[in-house]
Amino acid sequence: MKPILEVNGLTKQLGNFQLKDVSFSLTEGCITGFIGVNGAGKTTTIKLLLGLIQKDAGEIHFFGENVQSKEREFKSRLGIVLDEGYFYEGLTLLEMKNIVAAAYSHWDNSLFNRNIERFGLSLNQKIETLSKGMRMKYAIALAISHHADLLIMDEPASGLDPQVRMELRDILLEYVADGKSVFLSSHITSDLDKVADTIILIDNGQIVFSEEKDILLDQHGLVKGDTKELNDQTRNLFLTLQETEYGFSGLTKDKASVRQQMNNTLIERPSIEDIMLSYIGR
Amino acid sequence: MHLHLVKKDFLLAKKYWIVLLIAAVVLPVFIQTKLTAGGEFPAFFLSTLYVVFLLFNTVSMMEDKYRGAALLCATPYTRTALVAAKYLFIFSVFFGCFILYTLAVLLSPVTISMIDMYDFGRALLLFTVIFGVLIPVQYRFGYEKSRYIFFFLVFLTPFVLPGIMKALQHDNAGTMSPLPFSSPLLGLLFVLLAFVIGGISLSITIRIYSTRNL
Repeated sequence: MKPILEVNGLTKQLGNFQLKDVSFSLTEGCITGFIGVNGAGKTTTIKLLLGLIQKDAGEIHFFGENVQSKEREFKSRLGIVLDEGYFYEGLTLLEMKNIVAAAYSHWDNSLFNRNIERFGLSLNQKIETLSKGMRMKYAIALAISHHADLLIMDEPASGLDPQVRMELRDILLEYVADGKSVFLSSHITSDLDKVADTIILIDNGQIVFSEEKDILLDQHGLVKGDTKELNDQTRNLFLTLQETEYGFSGLTKDKASVRQQMNNTLIERPSIEDIMLSYIGR
Repeated sequence: MHLHLVKKDFLLAKKYWIVLLIAAVVLPVFIQTKLTAGGEFPAFFLSTLYVVFLLFNTVSMMEDKYRGAALLCATPYTRTALVAAKYLFIFSVFFGCFILYTLAVLLSPVTISMIDMYDFGRALLLFTVIFGVLIPVQYRFGYEKSRYIFFFLVFLTPFVLPGIMKALQHDNAGTMSPLPFSSPLLGLLFVLLAFVIGGISLSITIRIYSTRNL
């Protein structure tokens, strides 16, 4: 699969926080989950990608072209869903759409109207009257109605109920089925367990790993067993380890060695959250 | 593209349209009835300044509250387009006020005088100087901080306004005498000067906004 967006050495100092040498790439037809705890640098990275913050160093290429030299073309091929919406609340959905749509040369109004109908929204409604879930759906309708190649979403699932989150997952899966890509930041990893193809973990302004989700889940194991199994040698096999009086549980990246050296243990498939917490808790 | 951004600013202030529309017609008539002959310039200028400032302030408040510019800058709208649209908005309201003033002159039962080219030129020049400073200051310091600066200036108004009013109402011939131009030509020169000042202000604001974190 071809890379559509390549980020190299992205650096930014913002007060006491520093985004350090962030590099990753997004591939065509994939949902990439961008995970990390609050304040890890997810929103800063997305704002740098979108040019909302000026970078100190680094390069961003979209389909091989430097985005700085072709900013308008790059942005016309992006769909954006920002965490707080950034809508003018006093306007109606139609008024806000008219402002946004005018920026895109490939705006498809019939597609937008179909999305609005599908999401059960009314164009004459004021944005301030929308619930959090409806607002997110409206943001998606705006973001996918100009045939964007890449949908960038910053914490779209934050504060949404499970039903709306399920609808969001369906929308994303439909979107990538057309060969398009999604870059989705979230600190709620359970949704990414179900839809993401690739996971990028950021912590304290640095990329910890960027890996295909299935490989990541296959590589790691959640090990449970009796504390008698633990010694100086076996402890080194774990990224993190929690011990109680009843036993231990820990995440390993070396399942083969665990199987070899610890006979009476249970190895389970971890969740993305288990892996994330293990890496940032080291 | 710019047109939609200008329209956006009008939409953000839609609650105040009717009040300000009435103000743009009634205020100059009222001010002129309180002044002696030659009061058309201060009447037009002060009422326009009032209307435009209120609209500008309302739009800035909405922008600060909802931060919609961040979303728009993430779309193909450029920062330059957003700034240029702000200037277009301000000047379109100025010209709208001029049209409303002219209609008020034609339709008002109270006799008020028409604005000539000279008065139009110096009104536009003064207006451009004021907003040519206001807009970059607001983009540089943000809505909240610049509000304190403007509040201080408004606080000074009662002390300096009577003097300004007198100066503005002063006989036109006296102010023109040192220059070897006819009154309409001088007005035209003021318009040109206003465009130059507006252009300089626009480029300063674009530079300020291009490095701003959204």
